Amino acid sequence: MTMISVRDLRKTFPIKKHAGGFVGSLASLFRSEYEGEFEAVKGISFNIERGEMVGYIGPNGAGKSTTIKMLTGILVPTSGEATVAGMVPWETRKQLALKIGVVFGQRTQLWWDLALIESLELLKYMYRVPDDRFQHNLNTATELLGLEEFLRTPVRQLSLGQRMRGDLTAALLHDPEILYLDEPTIGLDIVAKAAIRDFLSELNRARQTTVLLTTHDLDDIEQLCPRIMVIDHGDVMYDGGLSDLKQRWGGRRQLIVDFASEPDVAISELTNGNLEVISIDGPRATIAFDRDSLSAPEVLSRAGAYGDIRDMSLQEPDIEDVIKRMYAGKIPAGV
Amino acid sequence: MAYRSSFLLQIFANFLINTAEVLALFAMFYQFDSMGGWTLGEVALLHGMSMIAFSLGDMLTIGMDYVAPQIRSGEFDRVLTRPLSSWMNAVTSEINLRHLGQLIQGFLVLTFAFTQVNIDWSVTKVLMLIGAILTGVALFMALFTVEAIFSFWTVNGVEAINAFTYGGSDLAQFPMHVFGRTLRVLFIWIIPVAFVTYYPALYLLDKPDPLGMPGWFVLLGPVITAVFCGVVAWGWNQGIRHYRSTGS
Repeated sequence: MTMISVRDLRKTFPIKKHAGGFVGSLASLFRSEYEGEFEAVKGISFNIERGEMVGYIGPNGAGKSTTIKMLTGILVPTSGEATVAGMVPWETRKQLALKIGVVFGQRTQLWWDLALIESLELLKYMYRVPDDRFQHNLNTATELLGLEEFLRTPVRQLSLGQRMRGDLTAALLHDPEILYLDEPTIGLDIVAKAAIRDFLSELNRARQTTVLLTTHDLDDIEQLCPRIMVIDHGDVMYDGGLSDLKQRWGGRRQLIVDFASEPDVAISELTNGNLEVISIDGPRATIAFDRDSLSAPEVLSRAGAYGDIRDMSLQEPDIEDVIKRMYAGKIPAGV
Repeated sequence: MAYRSSFLLQIFANFLINTAEVLALFAMFYQFDSMGGWTLGEVALLHGMSMIAFSLGDMLTIGMDYVAPQIRSGEFDRVLTRPLSSWMNAVTSEINLRHLGQLIQGFLVLTFAFTQVNIDWSVTKVLMLIGAILTGVALFMALFTVEAIFSFWTVNGVEAINAFTYGGSDLAQFPMHVFGRTLRVLFIWIIPVAFVTYYPALYLLDKPDPLGMPGWFVLLGPVITAVFCGVVAWGWNQGIRHYRSTGS
């Protein structure tokens, strides 16, 4: 069953540029210097089936949040179609709200001055959650996320990690069929991140909740999302499995080699088809290489010919790098 | 009540400010015996009704004051992800009883007015008084909403609207016929505050309308108010569709 269906969805924002400074500000009261349109989302299409967990990734300003805001009914698109749980979000916002849960990592959905439990009880009333479901969901969240130690603390006094756990509980009280998460682990420590990831996989397993998640954290994606969509400049550039993406296009690992002193400049001659010396900074050289055709010890032994190696570290390709390269056109985009 | 002393101080301050307003009324009548043919008690009746309707309307729509900052910060997103009408949700997002002082004052002034004027009470007159105040509450709630609607476009609130909210409630505290034609047309037909105090008071006091409108004219109040609220509701929905959120 298709939970989310999007066809040629577009959103443009008008932009006005003001001249800087005091005089410019005054002038802009009467006329705008330049008016144009910024196309935040450029006619994207995709389907998400019930029970899928999809990672929606891309750099800042790529259009991730704008898409999610259209799919929750917060924003009305400029053109295109979308149905979420069988409804057009911006036309049936109120009814849709009962079927979706929303967590925006940067902002809380809770009441700042109320204790967490009071916020949850207000939401119970607002979403008309039956007593037994409320108790059940609260118990599950308490158990898996460790809520009891701060259930009676006012939200403004919660730490970021506690608040996020509270927000997640709040978003799930009414058993939504779809959960939107906009950077749910941003700024959290490893323990809190792990707790939230475990909770989400358990939720998806037990209730078949469909999850659409935006994040900058590759670990989130690796642990939660069998499918990812990469968006940049308002376009979907990749839609498929994570392993596929990494294997096909993200295969470059980086070896950072610290020499005892500055290595022989001839080290840059190492660069060939499947290996590239990216930078030489004093005694430190950074070498990128193709994971399929070269192994790290091999690269290390080649580098050893140009100086005394003191230390080394290996970096796995990260998703940001893949996207950056994808956008720069160094690798073929598309599925 | 998360901040009790702040709350009590706010009510006390609000009470003091309104005391000054009432004192000004007394000072005026110390110099003149009547205003447009109305006695102190009769004008106090207008004052009391206006203060009660305004303070209730304001307290019920206090959330509207927070729409502009919420739009600016993007927190308005939250309002739009809830299973309530966006207006109800915005209104209930904040609760503030800062105008409780004015409400108390309104009741005191109204009580004073009743001791000064002779009202030949009947069931319809009681209903008229209640109906007038309810109309006023609805009207002021709509007016406070107008200010919030503008912020969907301007991002900041538009202070000019205060001329109609605070201005309207001030105007409603005096007999309408002392004002010039333009103000009268505005506050009878466009923003019908005259129906909150003036016309109901004429009925309560068994006075004929010096402006020559027939007795049933007062019954138009709820109708014009309903039209006004309808227009405001339409404007609110346009604002919601225009909402642009912020980057996050």
